[in-house]
Amino acid sequence: MKNSIAARLAAMFAMASIVGFALIGAALHHVLVRELARHQNDQITNRIADISYVLEHARSPGLGERMRQKLDALESAGPRTRVWMWSKDPAFQYGSNVSEMLGLVRDNTPGAEVDIAGNKMRLKSRTVPANDLWPEVRFAVGVDSQPFISTLHAFEKALLALTLTGTCLAAALGWWIARLGLAPVERLSGDAQRIGPGNRAQRLQLPSLPRELADLGMSFNQALDRLDAAYRQLETFSDDVAHELRTPLANLIGQTQVTLARERDAGELREVLQSNLEELERLRAIVADMLFLARAEQGAKARSRVEASIADEVGKTVEFLDVLLDDALMTVEVLGDATAPIETSLFRRALTNLLHNAIQHSIRGAEIRVEIAKDASHARVRITNPSAPIAPEQLARLFDRFYRVDTSRPNSGENHGLGLAIVKAVAAMHRGEVFAEYADGRATIGFSVSLN
Amino acid sequence: MRVLIVEDERKTAEYLEQGLREQGCTVDLAFDGIDGQHLALHYDFDVIVLDVMLPGLDGFAVLKSLRAVKNTPVIMLTARDGVEDRVRGLQGGADDYLVKPFSFLELFARLQVLTRRGRAQETTLLRVGDLQVDLIARKAQRQGQRLDLTAKEFALLALLARRQGEILSKTVIAEMVWDMNFDSNTNVVEVAIKRLRSKLDAPFPTELLHTIRGMGYVLEDRSAQAGG
Repeated sequence: MKNSIAARLAAMFAMASIVGFALIGAALHHVLVRELARHQNDQITNRIADISYVLEHARSPGLGERMRQKLDALESAGPRTRVWMWSKDPAFQYGSNVSEMLGLVRDNTPGAEVDIAGNKMRLKSRTVPANDLWPEVRFAVGVDSQPFISTLHAFEKALLALTLTGTCLAAALGWWIARLGLAPVERLSGDAQRIGPGNRAQRLQLPSLPRELADLGMSFNQALDRLDAAYRQLETFSDDVAHELRTPLANLIGQTQVTLARERDAGELREVLQSNLEELERLRAIVADMLFLARAEQGAKARSRVEASIADEVGKTVEFLDVLLDDALMTVEVLGDATAPIETSLFRRALTNLLHNAIQHSIRGAEIRVEIAKDASHARVRITNPSAPIAPEQLARLFDRFYRVDTSRPNSGENHGLGLAIVKAVAAMHRGEVFAEYADGRATIGFSVSLN
Repeated sequence: MRVLIVEDERKTAEYLEQGLREQGCTVDLAFDGIDGQHLALHYDFDVIVLDVMLPGLDGFAVLKSLRAVKNTPVIMLTARDGVEDRVRGLQGGADDYLVKPFSFLELFARLQVLTRRGRAQETTLLRVGDLQVDLIARKAQRQGQRLDLTAKEFALLALLARRQGEILSKTVIAEMVWDMNFDSNTNVVEVAIKRLRSKLDAPFPTELLHTIRGMGYVLEDRSAQAGG
């Protein structure tokens, strides 16, 4: 089974929030870094301005000495700030490793991060040109970066913690929302689980479903309806088969038992064997027809189709049934013709069944009409005969196996109720369909075959 | 006619043996594929009845080894009505194919066709007792009296006369006379026979056309048999 939808949604929420937090965090981080750098630079710039001011506004002799004192004062006031001063005149030199430090920066560039004895500092330098009061002096100001780095680290930690907490929260919320949102699906599933072979009539409760699921529910219910219909057909079919086979089997067993219970002469025994043989032939015919129907239902198609005139086939079938028509004083009128690719033996079988059906269900002297027509895709045979009224629900079931409109005369010898089912199978094997209509005292039953 | 029956179902094998013996055949039996193969390869039969599902070696394998050395006609039997089986059997060299349940009459008729194949024995004037059937003139007469038959009635009589003494099932008759090769579940053949009988037998003292209940019809002169 796949992951649950709730878990997947929760994971997706979590992922989305991670991405969101990360983007915001990155932006904030960027802004903070820039602001901190600017702040540092401002500090340095201010310091440089201070020093320049002291230098430029000094008039007294011993300026170098004064400058050093001033710088000392500055350093001790802000321990995180350091100053270096260098000049050719040793009086204007201040700070340790002055020349080395000044080699690290160039004038008028934004502050550079340098490592001084394990301390990160931001350095900036400036050169004041010589005049009559002082020589050319270059000095550099460094500000300890540590406080800024600490601030940044604290911010990063907070950001990470926030992101993780937020993500977890989003995942949890997402899971909860998903569960809440999916509750109707669970109800649906519960509904569906209650449907089984025992209560096939039960359906999903559509009114309680949200709009998004209503379609699904409806499709599901329709699928259930179709399955139920098929199931019911199969059930009655099994019953029918059992019934159809039971009668001849009962006859066979009973008759044989009765016969064997006494001494019989050869003539009587022959009678029984012949009667048995008739029943057995009936069984064989049913089994053969059932197999034929089963194969057609499994999608078997007519194999050796040849282009043939349907009117010719009708003619041959009428010729075959001629004696029956003659006995019943019936005539057959054939109208129209069409050629179609058909397997003639199957086609004749369908025609025989249809015409035989028409003969059996018409009164003596009736006229049976066979109409042949075709359209772009199919050729159709319609067989019309005067008939007792057939109700619409009976029409719909005419082609079902073992269905008999006239239930009062079942099992009339040759007729085992598969005739029209076989017509339907033959039509299906030719990618066609069957149809049945009743109007004005006339029944029309027929089938179509595909033209390609 | 010498027939080999290879069939593991004893009841089937035994009734086939009895039936064929009584029709004047010499019958050998094998109950599995290995025995069947041995007999089929080492003795000469006119025709072999071969079941598909056999213990030891199946019918297709027996057929294959047989076809490697000889051309004895083979008719295969199967309980499965699959087209694949049929195609496989016929491609493997089987001459005919019967699906169980089949009627004994049909099997016997097909065996006769297989062994008769190629032998032309058609005559144009057939006689059954006092009946004469002229296949060329398409006329039939009994005791010198012309029978007034329709075309189909004549075709039916000609078929029965050509195969006189042989029981013809309704299915065979429908196929040979009307070209309807399926079980039609109609009583056309019965009615047609009844009509033929009314013209053939009713006006005359002896009956030639007999019904064998559950099996079919046979045309034969039984008075001649009774008389010797």
